[in-house]
Order: sequence, then structure tokens, then C-alpha cells
Amino acid sequence: MRSARPSYLLLTALLVLCFGLAAYLGTWFQNWQGSRTQSADVLNTLLGDSRRMFANHFYTKADAYYHSGYYPTIFDNRNNFETPHMAEDTGAVNSKNHGEEEGFLGPPRDWIDAFSRNFFPDRHTHLDEGGPTEDLSTSTDVREILPWLKLSTELDPDNVQTYTVTAYWLRIRMHKDKEAEAVLREGLRNNPHSYDILYELGRLYDESYHDTSRARNVWELAVRYWLKLPPDEQKENTLVFEQITTHIGHLEETAGNLAQALNWFEAAQKVSLTPGELQKRIDEIKAKMADQSQLVVPKSVY
Amino acid sequence: MNNIFAVASIVIKELYRRKDFYVLFILTALICLVMATVNIFNDKHIIRYLKEICLLLIWVASLVIAISTTARQIPAERENRTLLPLLAKPLSRTQLILGKFFGCWIACGLALICFYGFFGALSGSREHLWPLMNYMQAAFLHWIMLGVVVAGVLLGSLVFAAPSSNSTISFVVVAGILLVGRHLDKVALTMQEPSRSIVYSVYYAIPHLELFDLRDLIIHNWPLVPWKIFSLAILYALAYATALLIATCVMFRRKAVN
Amino acid sequence: MARDFEPFESAMSAILKTEKLRVEFSSREFRQATKVALTGLDLEVNAGEIFGFLGPNGAGKTTTMNVLLGFVPPTSGAAYLFGIDVRQPIARQRIGYLPELTYYYKFLTAEELLRFYAKIFSLAPGETDKRIDQLLKLVELEHARKRPIKSYSKGMQQRVGLAQALINNPDLLILDEPTSGLDPLGRMKVREIIQRLKNEGKTVFFSSHELGEVETVCDRVAIIHQGELKAVGRVNEITGKHASLEKAFLEIIGYPTPSTP
Repeated sequence: MRSARPSYLLLTALLVLCFGLAAYLGTWFQNWQGSRTQSADVLNTLLGDSRRMFANHFYTKADAYYHSGYYPTIFDNRNNFETPHMAEDTGAVNSKNHGEEEGFLGPPRDWIDAFSRNFFPDRHTHLDEGGPTEDLSTSTDVREILPWLKLSTELDPDNVQTYTVTAYWLRIRMHKDKEAEAVLREGLRNNPHSYDILYELGRLYDESYHDTSRARNVWELAVRYWLKLPPDEQKENTLVFEQITTHIGHLEETAGNLAQALNWFEAAQKVSLTPGELQKRIDEIKAKMADQSQLVVPKSVY
Repeated sequence: MNNIFAVASIVIKELYRRKDFYVLFILTALICLVMATVNIFNDKHIIRYLKEICLLLIWVASLVIAISTTARQIPAERENRTLLPLLAKPLSRTQLILGKFFGCWIACGLALICFYGFFGALSGSREHLWPLMNYMQAAFLHWIMLGVVVAGVLLGSLVFAAPSSNSTISFVVVAGILLVGRHLDKVALTMQEPSRSIVYSVYYAIPHLELFDLRDLIIHNWPLVPWKIFSLAILYALAYATALLIATCVMFRRKAVN
Repeated sequence: MARDFEPFESAMSAILKTEKLRVEFSSREFRQATKVALTGLDLEVNAGEIFGFLGPNGAGKTTTMNVLLGFVPPTSGAAYLFGIDVRQPIARQRIGYLPELTYYYKFLTAEELLRFYAKIFSLAPGETDKRIDQLLKLVELEHARKRPIKSYSKGMQQRVGLAQALINNPDLLILDEPTSGLDPLGRMKVREIIQRLKNEGKTVFFSSHELGEVETVCDRVAIIHQGELKAVGRVNEITGKHASLEKAFLEIIGYPTPSTP
């Protein structure tokens, strides 16, 4: 009978080799710059940078949930569906939709197409309006988009729009101010110079916490970051600048600082697509100022 | 009928004595329960993501059960030579095929009852809504769709020698139909002749299994599918299943068993 | 041409009959010739006899059985069981069949397996229970009736096979190498069961390589070689002047032996 001793010896030697190599390579691997093991984030460890690919998918999924499943596939005509309604309805993004995006299915092409439309959602609805049930009392159904937005932020922490959209729905429809603030603060940690997040944070302080001084500070910081943008990027992001300056102007007007308010509204008017509307506000403030005979030139923000 | 149900009863026994179903069921339940514990902005009423994950797992599990159970039936009978004593009895080949079909189909139905029972309990416990008719409609159409799959895989088990190749090809075909079957006509429009005609022919020839997928309607609480449409869909599936079964019987009757 | 020996009890009726049975298998390979498995086989097995069907490997024994059981369609000629064409399932109502090396449904117990086959023969529930008890006693598997078949030894699986072949109390039993792969004790038990069946008046048609066994239990034998029937008759007639059936068999199939004159 053959002795089993050589097999055991070989097995022990191999185990020693394995543990030795693991101990040696482990230190080298930990010190390696690109090591995923240094990340505390499970998704980062598992997927690496490829996780960003999935983030957009889940962001779109959130919008599909916003429409209760009625959404174009990659085979449908999506040419007109440029801005997700879920983001468009927050008022925080510059919509590129023209109102033609709902008819992505077109008329039925054949009997199979016509028949199959009975088996999937075939009507355009929004969750904040009650979804397919059209019951406005259940409009908190909008909560259903949140898991996908949360997943999207975790997969792509640099996508600012996901944080602002998430915070908007949490705050406006779900009345979850603390959770909205946490989302925005997390977004700020990952994107410290984001004027979009600061704008949304300012709205939270102003509208939910009624803390106007913090709101003003945050918005002024947002303006400073916006002004640091290269001119071509500024041209592309005029909407948010108009929104921030208008909000500060309104804040100052309410506080009685009419001259400062005037200055902010005039700054907004320079980039606004509808300067006529702002001109009315400016005229109103000027009228008030004339009444009070009080003219203080605020320090320029430029 | 007696012979058909005798054969079917053996297939059903096989399903519940093998580990496949239990593993898939436990895995589905475990994943769903873990997902249910995820805290999403301290809101315990969020449910649709959970419904989607649960239904997706149920669909995958049901297809795995239907395809793997059916694909091994005839090849296993041949390999273990149990086909010989079986056909040496007063059992026709058509009865054997029908027995295998009904066995696999009923087994899938029993598995679906467990899966949808779990789904109903999970969604009901969070949503506090019990749209039983909607769930029954979805589960029934799902089961009817599996009838077409089972008939197709049974035919495949006579065409392909190995159960593994049959399972793989069947899974790819079924997944392909479910994902792009509805859009093939749109794809055809973007093509030149003769590819366009070929894709159009495929579009009209394939069984449109995606018709039986009511997941989006269930997840987003859409109303019931009209009963007339529901009945027409059942007829459509039965026609395909019957055609596939006839082809299987004709092929099996011509095949030498040795 | 087959050697003709005296007809055995010609008064008996043939319950298994083949007429000019020819089976050809066309090859799937390109340009491969068609293989002829049987060339006009004429065979008759009478009621109540034990008939041994002998031949070297590839002679056509299993093909003959496959035709008789309807597994393979004949290219020409015909085969009958109890006077019914074998292509009709009803022809198999009164037969039992034990194939060589079969692995029965591993997830079933012996009792469940027999109950399943009994259902196919439409046996009444009461009769089924009685028959299962009898058969498990006959094949000495009463102690293991509730155990799954996957836990059975090869000999036990072969005995389960014999039990399933007898579930319908058949008048004709077709056994393909029934003692193949069994130990001496297992072979003896199978031989005893075949003998008991003969005593009960059953007809047994079986193929085997164990010529000593055939000599012991068979009334008549047929020897087939290269698809052609070489000899048919009573064992002592075929053995004739040879010392044993084995020597006669080798001579009939044309294999030169030292004892061949």
C-alpha cells in the first residue's frame, strides 16, 4: 500500500506557498493607487468605474416609474424625448422637450402591435398626479421613483442632476426635509462646487426651514461658483443663474433691502429668456423705492 | 387520458423531489426579503421597486424551471433507457409526449402558485392593497405562456441531442422573443431587402410571448386587461402550443427508439 | 437458409411471429452505406415455451426485439404479437418487457414505479395493490419497497425491472439479456423466476450470451448471425452431436473450433 505522507507534504507545501504569496501580494495590492479595496463603497468595490454606465439606466428607470411604466424603449421614437419629465417637472432643468414626446408609440402598425398594446401601459400619466389611477389623493406615489434615484446617485456620485431631482421630490411631495438635506449634503461632498446643489439647498433652507440667512449665504456662494465658470459654460447654464439671483432678489425684497433686490433682479434680467417679466418686478421695486425715497447701492456681485 | 396523466404525474413528482425548485424559490424569497430591508429615505411604503425585483426573479425562475425540466425529459428517458419499458407498454408515443407536456406544464403551474403566493404576500404586506384579480390574471397568462415554452422545448429535445444545448438555445430564443419580439417590425423598417422581408417573416412567425408579460401593469397598479383581450391571448397561446405539440408528436412517431 | 429441425409441438399456436422481417438503417454520415440489421427473418414462438434467442454481438437480436416492441419500424415484412400487428399499441397489452441495463426513475420508490406502470395498464386500485405485493415478494424486494431506486444495487434494479415487466401478469415475456451484469446469486434468482413463470404457463422470449443458462432453462432456441436466422429448434436437436450448446453455436455461426471435424 502506498504511503499518503508525500501527498500530505505536497499539500502542506502548496498551502504555505499560497499563504506566503497572499501575504506578500496583499500589501502590494493595498498600496496600489487604483485598488478598489480601498473604497468603502460596496458598488465601487464590485463594479469599479463601470458602475457609472448603470447610473444612467437607473435614472431613466426612475423617469419610467414617474410615468407608471409608459416609456419609450430603445426601439421607439425617442427623438422628442430629450428631458426626463421627472426632472422637467422640478423646474430645475432647462427642458428641451417640445410637447411631442408623448406620441412615441405612433399609430398601431399591424394587428400584433395593436393587440400587444393591451398588455403594457399605453397612457401618459405622471405619478405626482396620481398615476394611472388618476386619484390625486394618492399623489405621494411619487415616492416610487426614489429607490432608482438613490441607486443612480450611488452609482454615479458626480451626476449633480440626480441629487437635485431626488431632493426636490423628497422635499416638495414627500415633505421629507431632513432626508432631502442629507441627499444634497452628500451631493455637495461629491461635487463641492456645484451651484445647482447649492441652489436646491438654499430653497430647502428658505422654503422648508424658513432660515433666510442660511439660504442667502448658500445662494450667494452658488452665484460665486457660477461666475467662476468659463463664458461658454455660463451661456449654457443661464437658467440656474436666473433662478438663484431671482430667489436672492425676492429674499432681499421681503427683507426690505430694495436696492439690493433691484440689483439682483437686474442681474437676472441680463441672462433671462423672458426679460419682460423681470422688468415688471424691477419697475415695481423702483416704484417702492421712490415711495420710500431711499436709495442704497448695494455692493456689486460682479 | 389515463395514460397521459400517469406520465404527467411522474413528471410532477420529479419536480417536487428535485432540489431545483426549492433552490430557486428560496433564492427568490431571500433576495426579495433582503431588498425589502433596504432603508430608502426612511419611507416604508415604497414598494414598486420590490415588486419589480420579485416579478423579475419569478419570471427568470419560472423560465429556468420550465426549460430545464422539459429539456431533460425525453433525453433522460433515452439515456437511462426508461423509454424502452415505457413504450413496451400499451402507451402510444403521442400519449407519452402529451403526458410529458402536461406534466411539465402543470409542474410549472404549481411552482407559479408558490411564487405568486409569495409575491402577493410581500406586496400586500407593504402596500396594503390586494388586487387579487390582477395577480390572478398575471399569473394565469404567465402560466399559459409557459405552455408555449414547454411545447417548444419538448420539440427542441427531439431536434437537439443534448439537453444542455436544447436548454441554452431555448433560453436564448425565449429571452430574445420577450425582449425584442414586439419591436422586430420596427427593426425591419430600418433594413434593406431581403433582410427586411426575412425579419418581417420572423416577426409574424414567432409566438409573441411578451403579450403574456403583465409585469408593468402589476407593478404600477394599472387596471385589469379587458377579459375579451385576455381570452384572445389564451387562444393565441393555445394555438401555438398545439401546433408545436403536433410537430413534436409527428417527429417522435417517426423516430426510431433504440 | 436456416437449418430446419423438427417443429416443436406444432399443435401449439404461435403468439409471436415474424414474416420476412427486414430492417435497414440508413447512415446519417455522407456516402455511408445503408446497414442491414435483419434480412427476412421468419420466427415463431409458441404459447407456453421458453424461447432462447442467441447470436453474437451485432447479430440482430436487439433489433428483432425492438421491432417486436414497436421501437423500430420494419423496412419490409411484418411482426405480430398475439396475431396483432406490433405497430398497434394494443399489441403490447399482454406482454412484459425487461430491457438490458435500464436505470429506472431514481426519484421513485419500487412501489411507486410499479404503481405507475400499473396505471398504464389501467389496473384497478385494489388489484394494483395486490399485484405489487405479489411481485415485490417474488423478486424479494419487500424490505426495500419504500426506498428510492437510486439507493438500489445493480441486482436489485434488475429485479425491479423484472417486477415491472410482470405488473400486468403478461402472457408473453420478452427479456433482453436478463442476467447481464449480475453476480452468480443474482443470475440464479432470475433463472428461478423464469422457471416459475414457465410453470405458470407463461411464454418467455429471451436473448442471452450465457449459453449454459440457455441450455438449462430453454425449450427451444434460435441462432441468428448477421441478421440471418441460422438455426431454430429444440436445445438437444441443436446441440446434436456436439458436446455442448456452445460448441454447436460456434459451428453454426461459422467460427472454427478445435473440435470441429
